[in-house]
Amino acid sequence: MRGAALKTKAMQAATSRTAAETAIEVERLHKSYGAVQAVTDVSLTVPRGEFIGLLGPNGAGKTTLIEMIEGLRVPDSGTVTVLGRRPYPRDPALLPLIGVQTQKSAFFPHLTAVEHLETVAAFYGLDRGAAQRALAQVGLTDSAGVRVSKVSGGQRQRLAIATALVHQPEVIFLDEPTGALDPQARRDLWTMLRQLKAAGRTIVYTTHHLDEAEELCDRVAILHQGRILTLGTPHELIGRSGVGSRVLLPATAMSAEQARTLDGVDDATVGTDLLTLHTRHLARVLAALGDHGGLDGVQTRSATLEDAYLELIGAQS
Amino acid sequence: MTAFAALTRASFKANTRDTATIFFTFAFPLIFLTIFGLIFKGQRVEETGNGYIDFIAPGVLAWGQANAASFGVAFSLMQWRKDDLLRLIRHTPAPLSDVVLARLAIAVGVGVAQCVLFIGVATIPLFGMHVSARWPLVLPVMLLGIAAFLGLGLIIGAVSKTPEAVSAIGNCVVIPMAFLSGAFIPVELMPAWLQDVSYTMPLRYLLDGLVYALAGAGEARDYWIACGVLTGFAVVFTAIGLRLFKWSNEE
Repeated sequence: MRGAALKTKAMQAATSRTAAETAIEVERLHKSYGAVQAVTDVSLTVPRGEFIGLLGPNGAGKTTLIEMIEGLRVPDSGTVTVLGRRPYPRDPALLPLIGVQTQKSAFFPHLTAVEHLETVAAFYGLDRGAAQRALAQVGLTDSAGVRVSKVSGGQRQRLAIATALVHQPEVIFLDEPTGALDPQARRDLWTMLRQLKAAGRTIVYTTHHLDEAEELCDRVAILHQGRILTLGTPHELIGRSGVGSRVLLPATAMSAEQARTLDGVDDATVGTDLLTLHTRHLARVLAALGDHGGLDGVQTRSATLEDAYLELIGAQS
Repeated sequence: MTAFAALTRASFKANTRDTATIFFTFAFPLIFLTIFGLIFKGQRVEETGNGYIDFIAPGVLAWGQANAASFGVAFSLMQWRKDDLLRLIRHTPAPLSDVVLARLAIAVGVGVAQCVLFIGVATIPLFGMHVSARWPLVLPVMLLGIAAFLGLGLIIGAVSKTPEAVSAIGNCVVIPMAFLSGAFIPVELMPAWLQDVSYTMPLRYLLDGLVYALAGAGEARDYWIACGVLTGFAVVFTAIGLRLFKWSNEE
């Protein structure tokens, strides 16, 4: 009896520890719109402090999935918990802990950027300082007095992100936050997202920029037709994809036939002025090239998350 | 600042910065007042000796209040939902009651301003409206009337996805109601069964209350009945509006 009680107690402790360390728990989620299966049997656990990317072609179910986790859409079946609580129906105790940026930026009409943020801050019982801080965080302090209808595309996106962050939430949902940003603003946002991650926040985001996902995410999930095809660190996904590296050398160095005989080379193709060697054994190829006549003018290209993504999505269709 | 105060402030600023909308909200009833004032200029009601304007003005005012309250909230709700602004609010802890009460505060503000301006214009010698000594009774019935039509606006705003839908549904409801309640033409001119129909409409009670308070005609009992019935309409319409309420068109 005593043993059983202890065991139960230990199990409870383990469960509560798991709950404390888990930001998001998604189990067997299904959602269809009429005949269209938008999300099919998706399960996902996101530990606290993780930066997770949801990738996939348009219509893959990313937004539907993220909106079910936020509590906006009700799943047909399956369960979602965020910080141990159900996001649906609307839970006023959970809402201050999550921040949501949607693809369509929404602002109070006719207000200035700072007035809009002050209004949102007041919903959380926060003062004007919160609005100023959020503006500074996204680098919009100079545009504080600009009407929301007059801010440019990139600034709108940054203001939408500031809206999601005004109350310093634990879990942050960003749906294509870098879509309308120029390269410099995109890098600035990366810096901000890394700071949020360093501060221990959990970030769930969707993007079509695979270089960005590779750069920022701890793990990425690739969705296709409502299912998670693969989930792992960017490095794992590249490894699993079997996409090799490429070695580029001047076309004059050797013929493609010659190149194919080198140790480790899977294939060789000739372009205008470059010979491209495809390999999954980069070190062996480089060694062979070194023996053959030196590495002058040789460049290497390692596989990227984008290569892995295209390989995976391409294999589906 | 509470969510209610923040929403009221945001809506107030939006209203005062949207000059075209604010202008026509106030000009619309005045245009009708002018038309009816000129049509019935100098004519008197035989039994009381009052000018027709004393009855026409409360009618146009009642319609103006009903129009501003129901369309104001219906357009805002539809537009806020269409623009994902309601979705933004949904993701914050701001209570839905604060969203509705902020709309009520704005509608009451617009209603009071509209009333003052309207009576100010109606009493100039050109129209020659006389205001009864009971005029402070305008306030209670007007507040209840605005609450009832705000409830109606909540329903229209919940079922409409586009501005066109708000216009179509709102006009289909409010304009026939204005005629059938006697806001534009006296109910006494209608067949008896249509007069009975008018008692199913909230505008009839707002009109009765305003006639009592402004023209000094009718019984006190009827005034308080009007207030009671408007309270009932406000409760029922608001309950239906909240039941139909959606944070997002995709919900």
